[in-house]
Amino acid sequence: MTALIIRPDSWNLPLLLHVGGAMALVASVTVAAVALIQGWRTSDPSAAALKRFGARTLLYAAIPSFFVMRIAAEWILSKEGLENSNATWIGDGFLAADFGGLVLLITTIVANVAVRRGPDSGLGKLAKVAASLSVVLIALYVFAVWAMTTKPA
Amino acid sequence: MGYSTLLFLHVTSAFTMVTAAGLFLAIALAQRSERHSATALRLAPVAGILFPVGGLLAIVFGVWLALHDSQYSLGDGWIIAAIVLWVIGSAIGGRISGGYRKMASAGASPDPSALVLNLAFIVTLLVILIDMIYKPGAS
Repeated sequence: MTALIIRPDSWNLPLLLHVGGAMALVASVTVAAVALIQGWRTSDPSAAALKRFGARTLLYAAIPSFFVMRIAAEWILSKEGLENSNATWIGDGFLAADFGGLVLLITTIVANVAVRRGPDSGLGKLAKVAASLSVVLIALYVFAVWAMTTKPA
Repeated sequence: MGYSTLLFLHVTSAFTMVTAAGLFLAIALAQRSERHSATALRLAPVAGILFPVGGLLAIVFGVWLALHDSQYSLGDGWIIAAIVLWVIGSAIGGRISGGYRKMASAGASPDPSALVLNLAFIVTLLVILIDMIYKPGAS
């Protein structure tokens, strides 16, 4: 019942970069979320190291992965001739990517400001906001994977 | 279950496995500095759950997909390659996870080959992804 399983060869590289970028993005946001949440749960000095680690993971791994995923998304859309498509799943993808990109940017800024304000202290309010936002991002990415794989009408 | 649902579950499981690889790598990089060694091990329990769950579900839903869709066959070269690579990746991931568990529970010293194992694990996952996208030999 699948309409098209084997796609033209020219679509493979942009799709690989899109999916690979998305996997790296989800992995790095999850690593940051786990580090920040573990830092939240502890009051010992390791909380500061976990906060730093979470903030740096967002900045140096999640943000570059986001760009790879997002640029490759445009590439594969143009290859498929879907730039002007009104398909729901593409709209969902844009929502998850662009709204998610904004949330990712805010999360990264908030986490890194938290590290600057208290490099040797526990999580604090700002880093807790970043931890919460990173969990929201993971939920948004699950929605994006659902939309991209099931392609709802 | 329909094709789309199976594909969603298969891909989500694969994302989970890759996330575990990210956590494993983060721990391995932190192990290079004694100062962060113990702190990094706090990530190990989550990775220890995500890796087997993601890995097992990825292969279960992957095989289910191959059986469900008439255009796929378990005998296809690219599917056999993916299964072989999955076995290799699972063995490497299992060794990494076991090493971290030992370090966390018994205070064992870091495995000097951990970084190499992590890189091998990531390369294996990358090759699986390339195989899934390019489907070499599929007609």
